[in-house]
This record gives sequence, structure tokens and C-alpha cells, in this order.
Amino acid sequence: MNNLILIAMILALLIPICEAWKDENIWQTMLAFASISTKTAIIALVVSVLRDDWMLGVVAAIILSVGNAGLMLLAHILKRMRES
Amino acid sequence: MINLLSYTCIGIGIFFWFWGTLPLLGKKSVLFKLHSLSVADTLGSMAIVFGLLLKIPREWPLLVLTIITLALWNTMLGYVLAYCSSSGGENERA
Amino acid sequence: MGTIGNLILRLTIWFLLTSDLSVANIIIGVAIAVLLPRSYTSHESVKAWCRAFQKILLAIPQAYLEAFELIIRPHNAEDVVLEKIQYPRSPGLIFLEIFLITFTPKTIVVKSRADGYYEIHRVLRRAKNS
Repeated sequence: MNNLILIAMILALLIPICEAWKDENIWQTMLAFASISTKTAIIALVVSVLRDDWMLGVVAAIILSVGNAGLMLLAHILKRMRES
Repeated sequence: MINLLSYTCIGIGIFFWFWGTLPLLGKKSVLFKLHSLSVADTLGSMAIVFGLLLKIPREWPLLVLTIITLALWNTMLGYVLAYCSSSGGENERA
Repeated sequence: MGTIGNLILRLTIWFLLTSDLSVANIIIGVAIAVLLPRSYTSHESVKAWCRAFQKILLAIPQAYLEAFELIIRPHNAEDVVLEKIQYPRSPGLIFLEIFLITFTPKTIVVKSRADGYYEIHRVLRRAKNS
């Protein structure tokens, strides 16, 4: 059961990776990367709970709370570059 | 009983993930994809984490913090992406 | 109200992150919460904040409802509407309002304009006039 859950989650993770690989529009790629970052962190959290490993869970929580900040900065930089 | 409930939550979350992520492959506008991604990444992930919380309540501080940061950051990222992509190059996009 | 709310928020995050209620940890947490700089002094009424928190609690089931609605009946049309900002004076409450609107999957705030309106992007079941 637990393995099934992990396999399903990794399959779901493949969709945005495929999108980021084939799409050339920058905003669609940004969406795909935002999705990848959340999904990887949640997968790490699930693994940490299944293995009962506290440290791995801390890493996942930290990824979740800082990971998206970089994407927001990148979005603002892209907008500035468009304008200039 | 609780085990069943937690697996139901995780199942709903994974279903949301697939439902919300599959439109990424289509040819819709960025804002439309953002709507379905907010279903997948915010609500689906919150359901998964809630399922984990039922499964192992011992790690509750971490999981509650995760739910809060998920809701906050994903929503803010959605707003920032919508704002930047719409005021940037509306006319370049097909 | 602003400073106390700020302190409580910081302490909550600190205790959730460390999950340790020993005396030393409490002292460290309080010290950090007091020493971190405050960005602005806000003067919202307690009532406005209570209403906002109530709205957050209501928004979670509503978001799930909207998600199921989107799944069961496909929404293919989209449009942009304008909505008035309710508390234009207070940055904290504007943030909360944008958060609430964007959190529900059918609506996303695209821009909050200087003249007191949000631009909101919605998905609809079918186009209204086309």
C-alpha cells in the first residue's frame, strides 16, 4: 500500500517534469517548476513519515517554507526583463 | 478506522494531484492552468499531509507547520505568477 | 493589538519548528520574537481581525467544495472582474483578502490597483456573451 502511494506520487511528479522539458513558453515552464518544487517536498515528507525519520521531515518542511521564495524572485526578474 | 480515513485522505490528495497537473500538458492559458494547479498543489497536498497527520500524530508540529506553509506560500506564488505573467507579455502569448 | 498579534505569530512558528517546550527554548523563542524588527505599526480593530480569521476557517471547506465542483463539471470559460477593496487603509488586511480570494480555486487576484479595486480572474462553466 505504501509503495503504491509512492509510485503514484512519482508518476504525478513526471507530468510537470515532462511539461518543463517540452514547453518553450517561459511562464508555462515556471508553472511546471512551481509544481515540481511542491511535489518533491511532499514526497520527501511522505517518505519521512513512512520511515519514521524526523530529520528527513525537518528537511522537507524547510524546503517547503523557503523553496518557493526563489521562484517568486525569478518571476519578478522575468517581468522586469520583459519591461525593459 | 483511523487508518482507513488516513488512506482516504491520501487517495483524495493523489487524485487531486493527477487531476490538477494533467491540464499542464494541454494548450490553455497560464491563468487557467494556475486555477487547476491551485487545486492540485495546495488542496491536494494539504489532503495528503492531513492523511499523514492521522497516520502518525507523533510528528504533529512538523506536519501542522507544513500545512500552514503550504497554504501560505502556494497561494502567494499563485498571485505572484498571475501578476507577473499577465502584466508582462500578454500580447506575445498565443 | 498589532504587536501582540505579531509576537504570538512568531512564537507559534518558533514552537512548531522546534517542537520543544523546555525553559531554555521558551526563553530563546521569546527573545527572538522580541528582538526581530517590526516592519510597520498597524492599527486595525480587533473586530476586523476576528472577522478575517473566521473567514479563513470558512475558506478551507469552501475551497474543497469548489475543487470538487471543478472536477465534476468542467469549467472552460474564463473572465476578469473588478471588485472593491474592503479595507484600503491596512496592508495586513489587504494581504489577508488577497490570500482568501486566491486560495479558493475558482478565483485568482491578478492585480490590486491603486484606485481601490482588485482585478480577479475567474473560471466559469460557459462563456456569458459569446
